[in-house]
Amino acid sequence: MASDCDVAVIGAGAAGVAASVVAARSGCRVTLIDVGDRPGGQYYRGADLSPSPRAGVDYPALAGDLDRLVAAHAVDYRPRTTAYALERAGQRLLVRTRGDDRHRQDVDIIGAGTVILATGAFDRPLPFPGWTLPGVMTGGGAQSLVKGQHVLPGRRIVVAGTGPFLLAVAATLLEHGAEVAAVVEANDPVVGSVRQLRGLTSGLGKAGDLGRFIAALARHRVPYLRRHRIVEALGEDRVTGVRIARVDADWHPIPGTERVLECDAVSVGFGFVAQLDLAAQLGARMIRGADGGLAVEVDDDQATSVPGLLAAGETTGIGGVEAARVEGLVAGATAAVLSDHASALTPSALERVRRQVARWRRFAAGLHATFPVRDGWVDSVREDSLVCRCEEVPVSRVREAVALGARDARTVKLLSRAGMGWCQGRMCAAAVDGLCGFDDIASLQGASYRPVSVPVPLGALAAEPVEG
Amino acid sequence: MSDEIRFTLDGEGMTARTGQSIAGALIAGGAMSWRRTRFDDRPRGVFCGIGACFDCLITVNGEANVRACLAQVREGDRVERQEGTGYGE
Repeated sequence: MASDCDVAVIGAGAAGVAASVVAARSGCRVTLIDVGDRPGGQYYRGADLSPSPRAGVDYPALAGDLDRLVAAHAVDYRPRTTAYALERAGQRLLVRTRGDDRHRQDVDIIGAGTVILATGAFDRPLPFPGWTLPGVMTGGGAQSLVKGQHVLPGRRIVVAGTGPFLLAVAATLLEHGAEVAAVVEANDPVVGSVRQLRGLTSGLGKAGDLGRFIAALARHRVPYLRRHRIVEALGEDRVTGVRIARVDADWHPIPGTERVLECDAVSVGFGFVAQLDLAAQLGARMIRGADGGLAVEVDDDQATSVPGLLAAGETTGIGGVEAARVEGLVAGATAAVLSDHASALTPSALERVRRQVARWRRFAAGLHATFPVRDGWVDSVREDSLVCRCEEVPVSRVREAVALGARDARTVKLLSRAGMGWCQGRMCAAAVDGLCGFDDIASLQGASYRPVSVPVPLGALAAEPVEG
Repeated sequence: MSDEIRFTLDGEGMTARTGQSIAGALIAGGAMSWRRTRFDDRPRGVFCGIGACFDCLITVNGEANVRACLAQVREGDRVERQEGTGYGE
């Protein structure tokens, strides 16, 4: 039940697929670990892509390469597998894995000279009264139901939050036959023009996507309510509507502008949060990304502060699918060199890819500047709104913890229990951070430390690492 | 993709498509919620949809706390709504 490889890649989204292909084509023995059923991550979702007409490093070409490398046993691909812990054993790193929730006992320990973290991100929710009602879900949740399951979460849906992803979610819902009551955008992105917005968002997907989203909204006459926010979701046992309000530039609701939109489902999201559990376990140095969220610090080779640990994609700062892909290419090349193999990317190809990384990162910074999370939500959120969904902790209890003298995120967690439940703070950490206003990376990193990233049977934890 | 899988929710017959998640099948069957919280006894269903939030927990063939958004339905599964911790406490 133990295995060994040169390079373990964790996550099979755009970054992980790109990294695996480059490392394997360079001659490394690669193990690719992913929670999903098929490669592609949250963006591609295992879609059947038309094969690329030319060899290259766009995603369809890489996905085709990966299929061939897996068939040739050059990549040991492990779907439906969670890497729950990462630890050091001398010069090597050990990745502890388990199967999905129906195969929790299927554990393994994979030794690797180099580990590439490509674990992606999840939606950043912000609390409001009623956000725990059934029918209220994240944009990613709505996308996964519609695209992955071919099931609509409701018939009349409100899409709310901030960012271009709202438009993508709305377009998906419309394409699959739902009515979108409104897109409720807290920022005011059309300060420039639609063209500027299109430039900004092209990196989030195939170029031209945004034009398609906007056309779909116009065709279905969906209101795009800028500078509006949900102040409350209504309903008893499931959502039946939302109360929205116009907000000022800082997101404070403007009195007298509230109104109710009836709906049977709500999609919310305020950007994304990088999945950093494994990086935190090894104490990798963190920074605040361009969107203010925590991210792993990497150098031009995608190397973290931990020897042998590389990172690519959203883990290094939310940047979209194209940034993830090109960072994955660089990480794969670095891993090859660290494993004493000549990189499959020629120096000039690598140079081109590095320039693309810089370009997509600039683009991401522009995007985050257009769709930031503004402070006004903090002093306008109702005290009785739950902030931690798992432990059912209201906003008031987080504020009490600060009033009692908590000065770091970990103490707030211990005093309030926010972040101590099943999700280990993934859903509430960004909100708690905002409520407390701590500006200290070490404090946030303390709260995001999870020795085991998903529940694991005790028998599995008792398994001893093998001699590397 | 026409193969239909049969399973039960609290003893009631339901169907799913091959490869469908438990959450996908339940929502397609009209259920939005299948768990009640342990402090406030409030209903919960899918929230993040990608395995991060653990809100959609459900009991499958006696095993508690399975994430319905990730786990695929299998023929003959006995799926049960879950209360509190899922361990009858």
